[in-house]
Amino acid sequence: MTLLSSLLGVRVNRRRRQFWAISAVALALSLLGLGLSWRAPSIGAPLRLGLDFTGGTQIQIARLCGERCAELGSDAVEVRLEGLTLPVEDDGARPPSLGGSSVQLLDGGEQVLLRLPSLSAAQGQAVVDGLQSLLGPTDPAGLAVETIGPTLGARLLRASLISLAVSFVGISAYITFRYDRLFALLALLCLGHDVLITCGVFAWLGLLAGVEVNSLFAVALLTIAGYSVNDTVVIFDRIREKRGQLKELPLADQADAAVSATLTRSIYTTFTTLLPLVALILFGGSTLFWFAVALSVGVLVGAWSSVAVAPTLLPVLAKS
Amino acid sequence: MARQQGWFALILALAIAASALLVTFPLQLGLDLRGGSQLTLQVMPAGAITSVDQEQLEAVKEVLERRINGLGVAESTLQTVGNDQLVLQLPGEQDPSRAAKVLGSTALLEFRAQRAGTEQEMQGLLSLKRQAEAVLNLERQRRSALNNPAAAGADNEAAQPPADFPEDQLAQALRQLDIAVPAGASEIDQLELLLDAVNTQIVALYEPAAFTGKELVTAGRQQQQSGSGWEVTLSFTQTGGEQFANLTRNIAGTGRLLGIVLDGRSISEASVGPEFQAAGIAGGAASITGNFTAEEARDLEVQLRGGSLPLPIRVVEVRTVGPSLGADNIRSSLVAALLGLALVAVFMVLVYRLAGVVAVLALSLYALFNLALYALIPVTLTLPGIAGFILSLGMAVDANVLIFERIKDELRSGSTLIRSIETGFSLAFSSILDGQLTTLISCVALFALGTGFVKGFAVTLGIGVLLSLFSAFTCTRTLLRLLMSYPALRRPSYFLPRIQLPAATS
Repeated sequence: MTLLSSLLGVRVNRRRRQFWAISAVALALSLLGLGLSWRAPSIGAPLRLGLDFTGGTQIQIARLCGERCAELGSDAVEVRLEGLTLPVEDDGARPPSLGGSSVQLLDGGEQVLLRLPSLSAAQGQAVVDGLQSLLGPTDPAGLAVETIGPTLGARLLRASLISLAVSFVGISAYITFRYDRLFALLALLCLGHDVLITCGVFAWLGLLAGVEVNSLFAVALLTIAGYSVNDTVVIFDRIREKRGQLKELPLADQADAAVSATLTRSIYTTFTTLLPLVALILFGGSTLFWFAVALSVGVLVGAWSSVAVAPTLLPVLAKS
Repeated sequence: MARQQGWFALILALAIAASALLVTFPLQLGLDLRGGSQLTLQVMPAGAITSVDQEQLEAVKEVLERRINGLGVAESTLQTVGNDQLVLQLPGEQDPSRAAKVLGSTALLEFRAQRAGTEQEMQGLLSLKRQAEAVLNLERQRRSALNNPAAAGADNEAAQPPADFPEDQLAQALRQLDIAVPAGASEIDQLELLLDAVNTQIVALYEPAAFTGKELVTAGRQQQQSGSGWEVTLSFTQTGGEQFANLTRNIAGTGRLLGIVLDGRSISEASVGPEFQAAGIAGGAASITGNFTAEEARDLEVQLRGGSLPLPIRVVEVRTVGPSLGADNIRSSLVAALLGLALVAVFMVLVYRLAGVVAVLALSLYALFNLALYALIPVTLTLPGIAGFILSLGMAVDANVLIFERIKDELRSGSTLIRSIETGFSLAFSSILDGQLTTLISCVALFALGTGFVKGFAVTLGIGVLLSLFSAFTCTRTLLRLLMSYPALRRPSYFLPRIQLPAATS
């Protein structure tokens, strides 16, 4: 409680240079990560794009091991894959070569994850059948095959970007109507800040840990955008109220008063939103792990930007 | 007071209705949670059509729907996406290759006459075909007898003529036809390859198509009169019937065969006896006897009856999820979500005391209403959908936090309890409304313009945001007011540590 009450007295505009420096460093690091990832020959895009965007086939096979799994190296699977002959498609197209496919063993060899070029349903089945003797008994209920054409990823990206742009326009129109243009600009600046830093974190994760972004990451970015604006608007609402109450004070002091009045709320809300997300990270299914990580990063950055960036930029921008 | 009790009765009635709804209409789970296959089909422009429009997409969908119904997968759905895509969901189906085959082929059915002077060649190919078919049937029967010994009757096997395809003969036949055999292919695989090649070569011996499947009215299937196989029956339009009579009259008695060709592969060759020399086979009906298994006959019937696709389609995406993967995901995500929510509840009670208890009650009602709406609309729950739900829950908690912080502020500044609660709600209203409305704007944009899972996410988040307004300003407020009507509970220290209260009221 003592920490909280000392924080409550905080006047963010007194320390705005420090806050801006922190955000600037984070933004620069993010841009660096995105740039490095773009230059990296193995990635070639600002983020390490997953199957959903690049197209291809992913096959997940669950082995039935009993007590413990028989020894299996991913090299052995790769060699077997290269030796497989795939059935020719009806249209006579040559089946793709399986050399250079990636093989991952998860959960102590219980799960085998294959990343392959785009395969037809019959060819995917041929791969599963072909590996059968090497993998031993498998659980048909634990088999997952995903094939995505490269055009689908581009379409998905375009649809997401368009819907995001439209929601930007809608949100700024609403904030302009309820507050004023400056607030709308600030909300969008914060939003860009939050989304960019989250992307930066995942660019670094992609560079250092090979983490790929999938369509769920796109959903996470959309969510962060919504959350960021929601968080910022609450503080704007309080600034508007303080402007009415503290007419004689300069705008910077009004903003400080609003931030310190809402700080408890900002901390509590960030905490309660993070609780289920952290639970998902620790105990949730593997499918949602990186999604929950992305959301947690976004929620933290979003709370930061609405407390430290928006109210400190406001007096500066209002003067100019 | 009476007004409070009215609201309370309404909330109680809604809660009972929501529970009843959830019991009668179970939640619909998406494929990623229950297992199954999802195929995305791209409709390709062809010929004079350079871009696919809505009408053509609907026409393709209609044909595909008929074919899917023939597949017999329960609860399958087919939806159009955008201008030129269709998404087919097959819950529980683990092998989408058969579906892809039946859906993807354009089913071009042709009726052709054999060219004069090709009798010898045809004879060679046909005997090869019959031999391969007989052995293949025997092998398949043997295999199904192994899998299902009770069903295989002893007399059935005795009735089949002994068929055999020595290994060296098979290898020689394959070599002659220039077929590359993949290493390790089983005998059945080799026989199927051989049959496929033979069927393609037979087509080369036919005249151009006399008429096509467009003249087909309907197709059916029935057990063959003799033998154990199935046959597919056809009936033609009037012009088709005339053309069929013409075709059969021309070749009747000549020893040339009538070929039925599906997508460039001969599926049936029939001889027409001399008795049809005068008028051909009239009456507008025919049957294809290709020694089909019941399943093959059904697939063929479905393809034929579905008619030709107006435009070709391509499968651009196939997703298959095993049911156990889905179950694992559900269980662990559900446990995680519940654990997180339990922690949030503990936190709220610790920080906000009596108000926190009220908030936990209101948020439980909120979750109940949310799930009931999913069942009612209905919303198919997918992983992104669950994520949207969790996030909306976070925002609903935020609404309560905002209100209670305001109440605390008022108490600290010395207002009475009842006044603080009323002011708290009215002061918090505008910021909650603004926050939720901006989120709602994004939801609408994402729903209108997004695809697939983005839509699922936007729906659950949007419902959650709307409900959280109701929850905070109706459920929380009514419950709090109801509790405040009991004087024993009307103590500021149930809301705030005594130490933070101004001296005047303590």
